[in-house]
Amino acid sequence: MATVVSPRGQRYVDLLERVWGERKGLVGWLTTTDHKRIGIMYFFTALALFGAGGVEALLIRTQLFGPNGHVLSPAAYDEIFTMHGITMIFLFVIPMTTGAFGNYLLPLMIGARDMAFPRMNALSYWIYLASGIFMYIALAQGHAPNAGWFNYVPLASKTYDPSNNIDFYGWGLIFNGISSTAAVINFIVTIFKLRAPGMSLNRMPLFCYAFLAVSFALLFALPSLSVACLFLELDRQFGFQFYNAAHGGAPLLWQNLFWIFGHPEVYIIILPAFGIATAIIPTFTHRKMVFFPLVALAEILVAFLGFGVWVHHMFTVGYATVTTVYFAAASLIIVIPSAIQLFAWIATIMTGTPEFKTPMLFIIGFIVFFIIGGLSGVTLAAIPFDQQVHDSYYVIAHFHFVIFGAAVFPILGGMYFWFPKVTGRMYNETVGKVSFWTTFVGTFVTFFPMHILGLMGMIRRNYTYPAGLGFSTLNAVETVAAFVLAGGLVSIVLNLLISYFKGPMCGSDPWEGDTLEWSTSSPPPPYNYAVIPTVTSPYPMWDKADRELDNRRLERGEGVFALGHRTPGSTVQDAEFDELLKMPPHSIWPPVTAMALAGVFTMLLLGHLFIAVGFAAAIALALLGWHHRGSEP
Amino acid sequence: MIVVGGLLASGCGRQSIISNQSPPAHGITVLWWWMLGVAGLVFVGSVAFLVIGYVKRHTPGLPFLGQNELAAQGLVLLFGIGIPLGVLVALFGVSDVYLIRQTAAPAPNTTRLTIHVIGHQWWWEVRYGDGHPVTANEIHIPVRTRVNVVATTADVIHSFWVPQLNRKIDMIPGQRNRVLLYANRSGKYRGQCSQYCGLQHANMAMFVIAQPAPAFRSWLAHMSTPAAKPTTPQARAGERLFMNSQCSSCHFIGGTPAQGTVGPDLTHVKSRSTLASGMIPNTPKWLADWIHNPQAIKPGDRMPDLGLSWGEVHQIVAYLQELK
Amino acid sequence: MSAVPGGAPIEPETPAGAVRLAQRRQALPNGWWAMALFLCSEVTIFGTLIATYFYLQFGVHQWPPAGIAPEKVTDPSIATGALVLTALPMWFAARAARMGSKRTVLGLVALALIVQAGYFGVQIALMSHDLQHFSPRGTAYGSIYYTLLGAHHAHVLLGCLLDMAVLWFVASKGLTNYWLTATRALALYWYVINGLAVLVLLTQLSPSL
Repeated sequence: MATVVSPRGQRYVDLLERVWGERKGLVGWLTTTDHKRIGIMYFFTALALFGAGGVEALLIRTQLFGPNGHVLSPAAYDEIFTMHGITMIFLFVIPMTTGAFGNYLLPLMIGARDMAFPRMNALSYWIYLASGIFMYIALAQGHAPNAGWFNYVPLASKTYDPSNNIDFYGWGLIFNGISSTAAVINFIVTIFKLRAPGMSLNRMPLFCYAFLAVSFALLFALPSLSVACLFLELDRQFGFQFYNAAHGGAPLLWQNLFWIFGHPEVYIIILPAFGIATAIIPTFTHRKMVFFPLVALAEILVAFLGFGVWVHHMFTVGYATVTTVYFAAASLIIVIPSAIQLFAWIATIMTGTPEFKTPMLFIIGFIVFFIIGGLSGVTLAAIPFDQQVHDSYYVIAHFHFVIFGAAVFPILGGMYFWFPKVTGRMYNETVGKVSFWTTFVGTFVTFFPMHILGLMGMIRRNYTYPAGLGFSTLNAVETVAAFVLAGGLVSIVLNLLISYFKGPMCGSDPWEGDTLEWSTSSPPPPYNYAVIPTVTSPYPMWDKADRELDNRRLERGEGVFALGHRTPGSTVQDAEFDELLKMPPHSIWPPVTAMALAGVFTMLLLGHLFIAVGFAAAIALALLGWHHRGSEP
Repeated sequence: MIVVGGLLASGCGRQSIISNQSPPAHGITVLWWWMLGVAGLVFVGSVAFLVIGYVKRHTPGLPFLGQNELAAQGLVLLFGIGIPLGVLVALFGVSDVYLIRQTAAPAPNTTRLTIHVIGHQWWWEVRYGDGHPVTANEIHIPVRTRVNVVATTADVIHSFWVPQLNRKIDMIPGQRNRVLLYANRSGKYRGQCSQYCGLQHANMAMFVIAQPAPAFRSWLAHMSTPAAKPTTPQARAGERLFMNSQCSSCHFIGGTPAQGTVGPDLTHVKSRSTLASGMIPNTPKWLADWIHNPQAIKPGDRMPDLGLSWGEVHQIVAYLQELK
Repeated sequence: MSAVPGGAPIEPETPAGAVRLAQRRQALPNGWWAMALFLCSEVTIFGTLIATYFYLQFGVHQWPPAGIAPEKVTDPSIATGALVLTALPMWFAARAARMGSKRTVLGLVALALIVQAGYFGVQIALMSHDLQHFSPRGTAYGSIYYTLLGAHHAHVLLGCLLDMAVLWFVASKGLTNYWLTATRALALYWYVINGLAVLVLLTQLSPSL
């Protein structure tokens, strides 16, 4: 339909344009329920926070450039590394993958016109934005959380950290968790119920499987974190005794609860990256993924098994050997589904005819870094070795290869890959390749020497280190490389920014991609598809006959559903047409509700319980407004 | 290049796990080299596959096997399940069944000596037996002797780690964790708190000093004696000042009215080689600087700036210099 | 709208259309799914709280700690029994919603609401009675005891508010597709909260059993 539309078809397109037209200007963005606009807002918010986290990383590296560094005071260093962790994990990677990529692409890939709950989708974004601001107010007020991103008690208790900085962490993460929970419920229902008729589960793209797995993992992992943070705040603000060993509490309770969340979290971070990789690889190798069903199964298995391994973060707390050995075995088992996916990508590249354009280069970088991070992860499942290098720079090296190398590289590749779809313009390929190599080399040289420093006995979270232990040279190299890496990231942003204004127009399908989003115009119209697409395989764009059929259906007005905000709802497994869903239009209530919620958390932080209850009542009123007038879906 | 050079450098570090000096640390190092070797093979092999993919990027299908989907799937099964399974089972057996026995807490009655190490923000209290002698930041042990370390904490979570001698063990409120300490030969081994414990986590080092049994016994006997009486007028003035100022409310000096327990025991402070938990050498000049303005040296430390004049500082230094 | 498979278009905004849709739909409605997933999250929260209760119990010698009498069994058991019975009116309300019988829905939800609100009142009274004997600040037992019960009561209160919202909107707007689904989701909410009430009760009473 993106090609030539006949006058008859154009009538339907015009009708859709009228029905789905978005409001203009600031009000339009504030009240939008369009998943693409929400995705874009997620993208820029997460990108800004990535910048903040990146600056924090550079400050850390500058401080550690040489022994006895004096760039930051010890107190400032502790706040900076804590904020770096919180920002990258909670405010950048998850919102960037699920929020930005998931929001923008999922409905497109499954041939829907929006998410299942468009207003709740907007609400998720506004809560995320508010929680990000909430956390950064802590830094702005001069004392941010400073007990590390895993915030062990009793260091984080009122006794040892009497200021309100940790309260920003405790309440902020619960606040942020509400956003994520709402978002993943939306994703799961969207994937289950809004797939284009014909897209049965076995025809769903692997990208969507990855996001489905992530959504379930988040849904079940977040409660543990929220409960842990609730206990923390009850202890800190109301004198409860959950974590106080002197009164029957248990400091290890925090560690258990945190890592029951924290380990699935690692897979929550990496799985969307797997999904992006499985979207990019078939396109650039010009073939289908090798072993599609096994890869889909592996994606789900990773998310599931991730819940059974948390004690491997606690091998040094003095648990009985039998406990640690059980969790070491579980940690080793999880290698298998990861290895399946790894070799499925490699086999696809080997058997296909790969074309090494910039997005593909980032995926190759991702594969290389994932192998390194995966292998160092395996070594950490060897308990005695883990007990040596735990909390040393070896661990920093390991998880930066996994989280930066393996999770962020696909994000960067995905930014290049879908840039033409989102903007309608093509980026500069030469600059793209240069930016890849700069980022790749920068990443490797920044993080690889950290393995060696860990083996040499350099502990993590040290605001400085003495001369004479042999740490100086490698730290200096890492710091220089970190700035190279930062340069690479900036060059990506500049490439995309300049291309947005000056890049050549690219048409709807510059890559000959395999999934549905390439069938609609670039950028996609507010209604995504004039005709809800026909789907007969997991690679619908390679089914040319189906796409021609869609063009003929547009002529007949079949599957257009132009009388109002409509999208088909289908059955969970076979995606048979079940009902015509009426989607809500724009609404001001999501940002209003998010603001009231921000009021609740601010008042909890300040200890004004009655005002907090007042804001909770304001939420109830906002929800009444939400449901009150003509906006009923 | 980087790898080799770096690892060579790590071999001679004072806090490196590679330059191990005990059987458990040695076992872990050997395990590490094996894991590095196998991981290197896996890495090179996987990257070789990618290189093959690049070299024959214009022809579909595998080398030799051609466009055979079953072969591609077999490759995934072999390298994704078959080979990893074998490697992982082997790794599990070696590390988590066999080697783990060496790094586990020592069985009762297999050790000749028990030392209590108590983590504080940010220094280490060291007690021999259940009471005295008490010292700080330097743990003397007899060489080639199994020593049972009981690791506890007085405040937040710390972690006891002497990489050349053994794995680390966390110190957790309400918990008594134990770890074996053993040194093959005499020497001074650096260790450090490895669980983030607040502002001065980076400067919470200690030393394990392994010495021949006779030397250890005489050291221990000396440590059990009360503090020496000051001999010079300057030192006597320092003692009076110490006892009448805030110093004595935090520090303990055996045989004197100073009975504080907040800071390190100073009964034989001159016998130690460093101050402030391994941060500065224990010389009169550094000691004077430390007493005069500890916050300038170790910001956030529990030892406050006492506002003493340089004259008073030098008196106290003279006193402490005699606490050998 | 000729392209809708399955014949004539359905206007779910009208109560009549909503009922026809509810009876013809093969899959469960999106709102029901969202509630089910939200409840997965809430059940996990309670799982974590109950696990914490026993985790803390294993860490100490005496549970409840000295000076705190084990909970009396009768009063909370009777209250929980009454709450669990409200699953019946909720089930019939959901069924009536699918039939399009607005007045039955209103009556049954109102009936359930009275019992649920009564349960909430009784529980608050029992809790304030407990508070006179031991504090959440004294020991970890007190902390988890009140937090577990408090979390449960908060969910009952939320359920009562949802009851009121459904009553208000069904009365004012009728059983449109949205509020028909909301009624079904509300019933699901109460089944799960009632089940959790039993688990919370068993945990609370475990030292007395």
